[in-house]
Amino acid sequence: MNENKDTSNMKNETGNRIRLGVFVSIAIALFIVVIYFIGNRQQLFTKTITINGTFEDVGGLREGSNVRFTGITIGTIDKVEIMTDTTVLVVMTIEQSVQKFIKEDAIASIGSDGLMGNKVINIVSGNPNSKVIADGGTINTVTPVSMDDIMNNLAMTTANAALITDDIAVLTTNIRTGNGAIGKIFMDTAFANTIDATFVNAKNAAGGFSDNMEAVKHNFLLRGYFKKKEKEAAKAQKEAEKNAAKQTKEKEKEKDSKDK
Amino acid sequence: MSKILYLPASMEDFFLEVDALSRFTGRFFKTFLKPPFEFSEIIKQCFMIGYKSLGLVTVTGFIMGLVLTIQSRPTLARFGAEAWLPGMVAVSLIREIGPVITALICAGKVGSGIGAELASMKVTEQIDAMEVSGTNPFKYLVVTRVLAAMFMIPILVIFADGIGLCGSFIGVNIMDQVGLRLYFSKAIESLDFVDVFPAFIKTFFFGFAIGIISCYKGYTTTKGTEGVGLAANSAVVLCSLCIFIIDMIAVQLASFFMN
Repeated sequence: MNENKDTSNMKNETGNRIRLGVFVSIAIALFIVVIYFIGNRQQLFTKTITINGTFEDVGGLREGSNVRFTGITIGTIDKVEIMTDTTVLVVMTIEQSVQKFIKEDAIASIGSDGLMGNKVINIVSGNPNSKVIADGGTINTVTPVSMDDIMNNLAMTTANAALITDDIAVLTTNIRTGNGAIGKIFMDTAFANTIDATFVNAKNAAGGFSDNMEAVKHNFLLRGYFKKKEKEAAKAQKEAEKNAAKQTKEKEKEKDSKDK
Repeated sequence: MSKILYLPASMEDFFLEVDALSRFTGRFFKTFLKPPFEFSEIIKQCFMIGYKSLGLVTVTGFIMGLVLTIQSRPTLARFGAEAWLPGMVAVSLIREIGPVITALICAGKVGSGIGAELASMKVTEQIDAMEVSGTNPFKYLVVTRVLAAMFMIPILVIFADGIGLCGSFIGVNIMDQVGLRLYFSKAIESLDFVDVFPAFIKTFFFGFAIGIISCYKGYTTTKGTEGVGLAANSAVVLCSLCIFIIDMIAVQLASFFMN
């Protein structure tokens, strides 16, 4: 009886130990899986290469920010370091499996993830015929347009626009008050009448002039000159006709040769 | 007791308690590295503390994840950011809520258990009997329980976190349709080593605090049968308080070192 109890106790104890073992191993496995996935995301377990890029202004890019290629996250920023007073070195760690898509003339630019999101680096692949970028190689960069630059440009544009509108305002006032030539044309009715009269006079004068010219042509002193001119014109016309005939003949010949 | 420092009686008691607890902790560190090691007793205590609390922790963890998701949803929905729900719940569960709630539950269950057990052994003079028979009661009773609590609480926390994420998955799917893979990839995506490791390390301290405080309260009890209930009660109260204090220190240290 007593022995029986002992053995059942021992069995119970082994059972408990097994249960404990299962419980602990499941928990540890769970922990390792989570660590693996987080590490995977940070590329601890994939082969990576590093590439460098220099920017004038990284606009808040930080270590650990994502690197994207065609919109897919392929790596992270390893280091952001000030090199000189105007350049910042950015070291990127990217998956080796995408190295073949990134050419030597690929361009990296800094963008942002959504409207208020973190800064990311976007890589645009270069010419498909150029060489693949090397591990530790340097990638071309485009300095991002910062909001400050846009604001500065906008300020300049509005200043210019203000100047132009001021000028236009002065001009329109002048026109309205009838100052200057354009103002007179638009606003002065008397001046408009004068212009009208001038045009009528000019028309009449032109009619008189053509009569005069007819008279001159019939004058005996100048008749010879006009006849000579008529003859020359007729000659030129004949020559032009001859040339045209020649050209058509040549074209026909060419056609014949081609047909043959 | 003679009045030496002219402190109010309650304050004097408090400092005497701190002193006794410190000595007790020192004694633990002196003892636990010396052989012989009571491995089979440690494993038995692990079973009692860890495996026996599993059901409780599972249910709490599941409800934690579910409720946290349902409660956070309206706030995020106001910004149209329901898609952040998995990430947000995962971070808050693993960084803070999982460890603290699990530790508090265990302080209630394990702390009161150890406190009452050791106190009743003390008042029935079993501890004295052990000392007479040549076994080191401190080593056999205290060290094993403290080590078991220290190893088991982190493992229970991992379970609670995992179950909590499953609960959160169900919570998300009450209102939305999110696939299991998408949910977990979003949850993992929002996590970082900075979220996981400090939270994991502090659970060891939670476990240690639960073990050492409840053992101290049980081991040093007086006043007979009445002392057993008192020991169990004060063990739970002090454990819970210490968990919050350790949590605060851990968060401060983590944010100091990780940034």
